[in-house]
Amino acid sequence: MSVSRDDFSIAFRSALLQRGGAQKFSVLSLIFLALIIFFLDVYGFTLVKTARSFLNDVVYRVTYLASAPTRLLPDVNKGIASHFNLKKENEELRKVIERYKSLDLNLEYISNENKNLKKVLDAEDVQSVSNIVLAKVLVDRNSPFLKSIIINKGSREGIIKGMPVTQNKYLVGRIVETNYLSSRVLLINDLNSRIPVTFDEKSTQAILTGGGTREPTLSYLPEDYQFVEDLTVFASGKDGIFTAGTPIGKTKESGEVKLFVDPNQLSFVTVNLIKPSKEVF
Amino acid sequence: MAKKNIISKLFASGPLFLLYYLSISEVDTNLEKLIEVFSLNLQIIIIYFWIIKRPSLMGTGHIFFAGLINDVVMGFPLGISSLSYLLICFVGNYVRNKSVNTTIASDWFTFFIALLFANLLFFSLLNNFSEVAISYTKIGYNTFFTLFLFPVFWLLFNLYQKSFIGSQDA
Repeated sequence: MSVSRDDFSIAFRSALLQRGGAQKFSVLSLIFLALIIFFLDVYGFTLVKTARSFLNDVVYRVTYLASAPTRLLPDVNKGIASHFNLKKENEELRKVIERYKSLDLNLEYISNENKNLKKVLDAEDVQSVSNIVLAKVLVDRNSPFLKSIIINKGSREGIIKGMPVTQNKYLVGRIVETNYLSSRVLLINDLNSRIPVTFDEKSTQAILTGGGTREPTLSYLPEDYQFVEDLTVFASGKDGIFTAGTPIGKTKESGEVKLFVDPNQLSFVTVNLIKPSKEVF
Repeated sequence: MAKKNIISKLFASGPLFLLYYLSISEVDTNLEKLIEVFSLNLQIIIIYFWIIKRPSLMGTGHIFFAGLINDVVMGFPLGISSLSYLLICFVGNYVRNKSVNTTIASDWFTFFIALLFANLLFFSLLNNFSEVAISYTKIGYNTFFTLFLFPVFWLLFNLYQKSFIGSQDA
């Protein structure tokens, strides 16, 4: 009996403390180190935050480069066609830029008009929404737990936590982490995403809840609410984060919302530089 | 001779390279687009298999570092994946110390214990100390598919080991 206990303790100690060959560090020392790093990061010490921000920027760039072969592989089969794809993509991007330019002007006009109308109504001044940043998706890792993307614009461009992210004016998510050169966008289908929305003629209010699945669901609806298919769901803006009236998707009879933008197919997004009126995260 | 040595070293560093590549690149073993519930933690399988079979190819420092990179890319608190990987490493070391010869069935069973401990630690830390919410159903599916597919990867890695590295066990 005592021999068996000795065996156990020897094997246990050896598994934790053994070093040699490629095992330059003992498992125990690394477990302690990982625990220290974890708690420093979780409790958000300034030094760790800065270090993490720097680390994020470096790792995201390396990830982007490391993922290049997987992005390029499908194009190899297409051969010369990829060249034309690039040309086409360039043309499309030019069109997108032109569209955003016109949208910018249009927004400025609407924003001025809105300000004047607010003055007439003796209301408070509203924030300008004319600033948008076009960003490229650096990393789109399809995690089973977190639905997020990394974009190539960060605090250098004035991006802060909570800013809404759209594609073709459709809501995609919001910024949850900013680094100097990159940011993380939490997609609306993530389990942690909750968006106040409005839809139908009665302007029914609800919360769009991400479930980690492709389509988020509507919750906190009025009692005995019967779902009607094909109603457009808009952000209500009640959280002070998302712009009211931003389209999100169409309702389904099951209570799910079919998003206008497929979260798995994002390559370019726009960050709306609206300072959220509420502290986010 | 020197060329052969370099090639054998390259093959020997294959598992470690795969571990780093899976941690840092966009490549994921998550086929949600095809089957919504399918997700797999291949890193854990790689670590467990090679720690049991050839620990000399899988340094603990590398495992720790790969975990940190994985946390950055996935957006988890730093150190949480490292802890989970190191726990796998610890169970692997223990099993290796206690057993003379291993089979696919014994490895599968001990892997189940390692996976259970690692996922329990990972999700309890995430649940108690982080604001990130995670679906328990997804955890269940991930654990199930990782466990279920372990023998497939065991055979593949075993084949790789026998073909390119040599069949000498630890």
